[in-house]
Amino acid sequence: MFGYYLDMAVRSLRRNKVLTGLMVLAIAMGIGASMTTLTVLHVLSGDPLPGRSASLYYPQIDPRDMADYEPNVEPPDQVSWIDGMYLLHAKRATRQALMTGGMVPLQPAQSSIYPFHAMALYTSADFFPMFDVPFQYGNAWGSIEDDSKARVVVISAKLNDKLFGGQNSVGKTLRLQETAFRIIGVLGAWHPQPHFYQIYMGSYADDEDIFLPLSTSRDVRMDHAGNTDCWGNGGGDNNTLEHASCVWLQFWVQLDTPQQAAAYQDFLVHYSQEQHAAGRFLRPPNVRLRNVMQWLDYQQVVPSDTRLQVWLALGFLVVCLVNTVGLMLSKFMRRAGELGVRRALGASQRALFGQLLMESGVVGVVGGTLGLLLALFGLWLVRQQPTDYARLAHMDSSMLLTTFGLAVCASLLAGLLPAWRACRITPALQLKAN
Amino acid sequence: MRIILAPMRRHSLMPALVLLQVALACAILCNVFFLAWQRLEPMLAPSGVDADNLILVDNLAAQGRTYTAAESVAGEDALRAVPGVRAASSGFGLPMVSIASLMVNLQGATHAAVGVNAFFGKNLVQTLGLEMVAGRDFLPSEYRPWGLGASNGPDSDWDTGVTQPVIITQALADKLFGATPAVGQWLHDPDPNDKSDHGYQVVGVVKHLLRNELGLATDGRADYTVLLARNIGNTAMLSYAVRVDPAMRDIALQGVKNAIKRQFGGATAGGARARVQTYVQKRNDAFKNARAALWLLLGMVLAIVIVTLVGIMGLTGFWVQRRTRQIGIRRALGARRAHILRDFLVENLLIVGTGIIIGMVLAYAGNILLMHYYELPHLPWTYLPVGAAVMLAIGQAGVLAPAMRAAAVPPVVATRSV
Repeated sequence: MFGYYLDMAVRSLRRNKVLTGLMVLAIAMGIGASMTTLTVLHVLSGDPLPGRSASLYYPQIDPRDMADYEPNVEPPDQVSWIDGMYLLHAKRATRQALMTGGMVPLQPAQSSIYPFHAMALYTSADFFPMFDVPFQYGNAWGSIEDDSKARVVVISAKLNDKLFGGQNSVGKTLRLQETAFRIIGVLGAWHPQPHFYQIYMGSYADDEDIFLPLSTSRDVRMDHAGNTDCWGNGGGDNNTLEHASCVWLQFWVQLDTPQQAAAYQDFLVHYSQEQHAAGRFLRPPNVRLRNVMQWLDYQQVVPSDTRLQVWLALGFLVVCLVNTVGLMLSKFMRRAGELGVRRALGASQRALFGQLLMESGVVGVVGGTLGLLLALFGLWLVRQQPTDYARLAHMDSSMLLTTFGLAVCASLLAGLLPAWRACRITPALQLKAN
Repeated sequence: MRIILAPMRRHSLMPALVLLQVALACAILCNVFFLAWQRLEPMLAPSGVDADNLILVDNLAAQGRTYTAAESVAGEDALRAVPGVRAASSGFGLPMVSIASLMVNLQGATHAAVGVNAFFGKNLVQTLGLEMVAGRDFLPSEYRPWGLGASNGPDSDWDTGVTQPVIITQALADKLFGATPAVGQWLHDPDPNDKSDHGYQVVGVVKHLLRNELGLATDGRADYTVLLARNIGNTAMLSYAVRVDPAMRDIALQGVKNAIKRQFGGATAGGARARVQTYVQKRNDAFKNARAALWLLLGMVLAIVIVTLVGIMGLTGFWVQRRTRQIGIRRALGARRAHILRDFLVENLLIVGTGIIIGMVLAYAGNILLMHYYELPHLPWTYLPVGAAVMLAIGQAGVLAPAMRAAAVPPVVATRSV
């Protein structure tokens, strides 16, 4: 019966090609615009570490003085060296890592490559197991290297390709800021998007090429880039950042159970109270403990333009649907005579309704296909835009299925009212009028 | 009138669908126009500077230290020595240099407080090629040093301890002082607790100067810019404005690049390289995102117009077809072709007009929804007539073909049993 309905629907649609074409076009344009914007939103608001992100937390404490104090303000987005080091060494979480970014001058051994600045992350040993970073060659450093300020470095696969032609470079020497570093590991493919752990170098920025111990970076006096917030008489001078009243480091912890997370929150409050009592913190304890998705949400990492475009596109889809309702209504009502005859010959209202809905469904599938092409074109246009997330705009399989689902649902919804109206035709009246 | 209203009452579904479509399209169009204007306004605003002959140098950041006032002046001298260069100023917050900008809050006699972009640097009026409409330029003795990010060392203090002279734009003069002449008037920071504020006195007014926070250059705020009498002192970051001889533009650009390389070398912080670009180039880059967004919005407008047009044509066409017999009867009873045509046009006008009224309410609702997610002002009412005019035009254009077909129905149809 499905095949028969399908056959009838296709025949009927082919009878009036212009009207069918217009309906398909309307659905396609609405779906194309909506899916383009929804795909961009889907990509940008995705989970950077699926399966792990729920147990990764970003603790915030408030070490500032009372200047401009207002109750219930958010604590700073980063931690100071003193607090960061205390929290790191307290080891109250399963794993913890303290980090900041920078640009490091790199002097390649080959004379064919000019010296350049590479994007670097200065962090502590737990970074790699905590974020489940894959290694192609070698492995990460441990707490011993952290403590001894070892001149060791982990490089990205991209940098390894550039400098060593993709060969195993573990054990080789890399000159960074006039200092020799030993390569101990090469990363595999690892590109979490958004770039959640360090959003101050760009939320969807390229990944770092250089990873080295935070302690080493301070020992060699590497420049720190990103955000530095100071208060009181704190100055942002790179050489005295350890003692300045400035926040400039990001701190991440892994807490596997909700109980552990609650305990960690208590620990942060206690620490703030102790520091308050000691006179270092002047504000009352003010802590936050957000997991990855909450942190990205709080930082409003997804550009607001993207949300705006989704709203506009969905509005446009509704206009297209109303349009399709009208076109279908006129198409179905034009066939009142034929429907009347079929009713008179014994077709039930239900059967007619099914057949008409089948027609809407076919329009939806064809419109969805065309809409998919339009969305692919739209995404290509987005990729031409000069934004840092542009290159991420690709359709994935889940959005592909959503496209068809949305198209068929939308067209069926648009067909409901016209089909219902057309079925209510009284056969006798139609036959008489003819 | 009855002849128009009666069929609508009897078959209300068709007109209702047209109405719904018009309402939604009108609501979206009004908001899209508004968003497009927000992006277009800074692009259309006059820059006030000698755009074709201006070169800007920025991204000069010292590595692990700050530049001294002497280095800043040495850079100026080196640039002035380049053949084809007419003037060079070390400055902060230069046009289209948005890497760092400084906002100052000012309050004048009308008590309206405004946030303005402040530009600093010696002889900027001359170097940028600004047109003075009242008052005078700063006197050489009025300049005080100031620098960025050197945490209040020598030569970089914001607080001068005395009243500062200021040059404002015509737009600011109108906003702050209304009809009274601005020159000689006083301005101050609206925050009474600000101890570093010793007031400002307006010494001159320039015709235009586009601010460098382009995102804020909407709603007539494009010219909210002031010049302060500061030369660049101890600073973490340097930038230069260079005005060149129109006849030697290309040679001068190369000369400036070489001079900067000689003077500052490759040693800048964070791997950043000094950028030497013409104003036109910088402007082009600065508006890249806005242009992309405008194209997107334009595409949206086109799509909505096409879809609505097609929808109205399809629905009205069908409605005409259903009423062929009635039209024939009216023609047989003496109605002229022009009457039939007019009736369909008026009918469409009524439906679209009602749709527009509903659409305006929806437009406001949509605006409030968007304000939730997006930093947007309220939709000014002036956008509503624009949206309405567009929708009326679409409606009439869409109904024209079906109405002509209706007018062409011969009276003889009435005698046939269709």
